Amino acid sequence: MRRVIGFIGFALIASTLGNVRSEQAPRSERGAAPIIPVTAQELLTRVRDGKAQVTVVNLWATFCQPCVEEFPDLVRLEKTYRDKGVRVFFVSVDFDSELPAVRRFLQKQGVTYPTFLKAQDDDNAFITALHPEWSGALPATFIYDARGRLRHFHEGKGDFALFERLVQDVLQHPNP
Amino acid sequence: MRQRALAWAMFLALPLMVGAQSMSKLKPGDTIPASVKDIKMLSVTGHQLSIADVKGPKGTLVIFSCNSCPWVKAWETRIAEVGNWAQKQGIGVIMINPNDPAKNPEDSYEVMQQRAKERGFEFPYVVDATSDVARAFGATHTPEFFLFDAKGTLIYTGALDDNARNPEAVKERYVKNAIEALLAGRPVPVAQTRSIGCTIKFREKI
Repeated sequence: MRRVIGFIGFALIASTLGNVRSEQAPRSERGAAPIIPVTAQELLTRVRDGKAQVTVVNLWATFCQPCVEEFPDLVRLEKTYRDKGVRVFFVSVDFDSELPAVRRFLQKQGVTYPTFLKAQDDDNAFITALHPEWSGALPATFIYDARGRLRHFHEGKGDFALFERLVQDVLQHPNP
Repeated sequence: MRQRALAWAMFLALPLMVGAQSMSKLKPGDTIPASVKDIKMLSVTGHQLSIADVKGPKGTLVIFSCNSCPWVKAWETRIAEVGNWAQKQGIGVIMINPNDPAKNPEDSYEVMQQRAKERGFEFPYVVDATSDVARAFGATHTPEFFLFDAKGTLIYTGALDDNARNPEAVKERYVKNAIEALLAGRPVPVAQTRSIGCTIKFREKI
């Protein structure tokens, strides 16, 4: 009897976990990291969840050459600093029809963690919610501290040295 | 010590200053940049035209666009409709491609000609051969719209409408609303918006 209850309990937990995972990862395919559609508010809620010392948000697209060029540096940044509480949220602004290309690119770059897809149709509202000075040009990178405060904003292509400097600034000065 | 702190602060501020490049973009109230308004640009029909040449009696609409950007492609039919309509209302219209075709062959002059024909652009589609016109406007990506009144004062800058992906879901036709307000002598309802687009592939400065 105890074994049956244990089995039912296990099945319930597995089912619940499965549901949570499917809610969080509606765009995932077998073996691929999920790509989660987000509005600006949903993205900012995740940024402010207090689970990281630094959150780097990078807005990119497969059609954006400078985005593609800087991407490996951000992947390297995440690998280098993940043990120090730094995470990178990649947010693709590609159209839904480009999802297969987005997925292929992420796999090629070795991104095995969840990433995001801009879900909001109204670009003006999305841009304004993230930063009133962002022109909408890509790539754009936003660096938040543990409390979700925007500490640095960079519009245009960056590189590892630049991103590292900005991340280190937030790590070294968590409360400016 | 203080000097070192200052140097460090300036070093960190650099990316913010880079980001602030977009702040040099023309803003409502600014005028057509004198340094570029007479620059002749090759149109898809083989004519040399400047912004001053196309200036309309009621205003001028300057569009920075290209052939290659998915955002442009999503909006292109609507750009043709609004541009053709605006021209008939006495608004001069010019669409400028500032992209370096060496960085993307889809932005070549030949493809511009083909695209203009396919989409039925009745307004000039021209090559910004140095990308200097885009620089002077502070344009950062394609597509971007700049609407000037008859005196050459910027009254609207930003996106065509509020939904690139889905024409059926458009709620705000920013450019059309601004032109209608201009023609009616009313203030524009929204003077500035932003949209995501493709970074301009500027030609290198020689």
